[in-house]
Amino acid sequence: MNGLWFIRSPRLRWLIAALVLSATLVVFVFPMVVAVLWSLVDPAVGWFPPHIVPASLSLANWQALFAVPELSQAFVTSFIVAVLVTLLSLALGFPTSYALARRDLKHRRLIELLVLLPLTLPSVVLATGLGSIFIRLGLAQTLLGVVLAQCIVVMPFTIRILTATLSGVPQDLIDAARNLGAAPISVARCVLLPMVLPGLFAGALLAFVGSLEEFLLSFVVGMPKIETLPMLLWAYLGGRSSIQTYAAVVSLVLLIPTLAMLFVAERVLKQEHLAAGFGKG
Amino acid sequence: MASFDFIVATPRPHAEELDRGTRARRQRRRKLLIDLALLVPGAGFLLLAMILPLGQLILASFGLFGLGAAGHFTLDNYIAVAGNVLFTSAFRFSLQIAVATTLLSLVVATATAAVLQLDFPGRRLVGALYKIPLVVPSLIAAFLVLTMVGPGGMVARVLQPYGIRWPSLLHDPSGAGIIVVLLWHNVPITILIVSAVAAAIPRPVIDAARTLGAGPVRVFTRVIVPLCSPGISAAALLVFIDAFGTYAIPSLIGPAFPRALSVTMTSEFLLHARWGTASALGVAMILMTGMVLALYHALQARSRLLSGAVA
Repeated sequence: MNGLWFIRSPRLRWLIAALVLSATLVVFVFPMVVAVLWSLVDPAVGWFPPHIVPASLSLANWQALFAVPELSQAFVTSFIVAVLVTLLSLALGFPTSYALARRDLKHRRLIELLVLLPLTLPSVVLATGLGSIFIRLGLAQTLLGVVLAQCIVVMPFTIRILTATLSGVPQDLIDAARNLGAAPISVARCVLLPMVLPGLFAGALLAFVGSLEEFLLSFVVGMPKIETLPMLLWAYLGGRSSIQTYAAVVSLVLLIPTLAMLFVAERVLKQEHLAAGFGKG
Repeated sequence: MASFDFIVATPRPHAEELDRGTRARRQRRRKLLIDLALLVPGAGFLLLAMILPLGQLILASFGLFGLGAAGHFTLDNYIAVAGNVLFTSAFRFSLQIAVATTLLSLVVATATAAVLQLDFPGRRLVGALYKIPLVVPSLIAAFLVLTMVGPGGMVARVLQPYGIRWPSLLHDPSGAGIIVVLLWHNVPITILIVSAVAAAIPRPVIDAARTLGAGPVRVFTRVIVPLCSPGISAAALLVFIDAFGTYAIPSLIGPAFPRALSVTMTSEFLLHARWGTASALGVAMILMTGMVLALYHALQARSRLLSGAVA
């Protein structure tokens, strides 16, 4: 449906463009700018109404990221957990994706549904069940517990992306390599791996960002010993005591990898890998 | 010697048949084992990670096998939940928020999707920018929206010189602040789904309606929206489930009373270690989500019938 079937006047078109564009900027872009400003507020001066722009700017809040122990600790924890979740969800998810994509499974539909199930369950319900089980298993307030809990909500995405990638490899190529005398190992290394590398990369990125942003399960499982950046953000936003400037810094630290992911996704990867992961349900 | 060779080399046909049968069976078993070995780490892990917490939740809600549970079958947790205004109001509050968010985001998203179908300068930029919330986690969404419309936010600062007092959306008992944040977070995915379905409507269908004398508004309400209904109901399902179960947003900006179902549930076990009542609330949440899923499937089946008539 290529629009303009009821608007013909060019002046009206420009009016619509101006209205829609300014609304979009105010609603979606402007808050980001305000967040950056909040992260640069000089703590000695503050930023109180009615000032539209902070009176003086400083990098003090960004330095706090390394100077304030709880911030730097959460920063390190978050990134360690994210790396572990990425590796674990790829390692556990790859065989399942391979089976879903390239093997003749009897109950494929059922297994696909099962893989997506964690996304339809409200995570507060999952957290309640998981919380008491992890206490019983001794996984509560441990790094391993947080990593396992995050894997549950991250792995459905990685499995979907890897399945989409693996099923995109033409069987002819594998047959040809086998035909020309390549052993199964070298087929995997020289044919399959290079072809699925973009998908693996996309899956890794999504797992990394998903882990970095996960809040509720980590909160229930990890509190108070294991503290990740989203948990700290919750505290700064009023969960404990409101510190707007730190909240801005943590928000931006969490947003940068996400926006980088979007950028990389646009530039390097074929759109469908990420589309396969983003499309819920 | 030679005659012996002959016998070994060509076994009786019956034996060969039997041999092929066992070999096929063995091969099938081998394939099954490989499939299982491949599925266990991923799908098996997820299955376990679903069954264990859900099983624990259901058992604990009936007083069985839970931390600090009665140890025998009891309906006490459900009776406690149904008889306490704290819990019933939480359920009602979450339901109100979810329904309001779903309806509002459908209205806003359908209107925006319709505008995005128009051809105006800068359309591609808008099409890229509105997708920002898709990748923003809900805690950051809460922060971003509050810096704009919260107390001391930009809107309040801009309006202050004109003597206009901006209403505080923080801890508002009607849940307005929560709904605003949820809308910011959920409208984009709704736009995405609705416009994908709208783009799939065959052009001749619209042309036919126009030729038969329908005005643009009539085409929109009587042709485009009904044909989009599969996408609209899918988006509604996603938004409802997210809004009904959301924790981060109401725990930060929700009122002290009533509290959202998720907040009540979490504080039951985090603050009071009452896993039984928390589990009963969790079962109520699953039942509600399941009912909405069933409604969705019924709607999908109906609209499949409808669109079958068009296509």
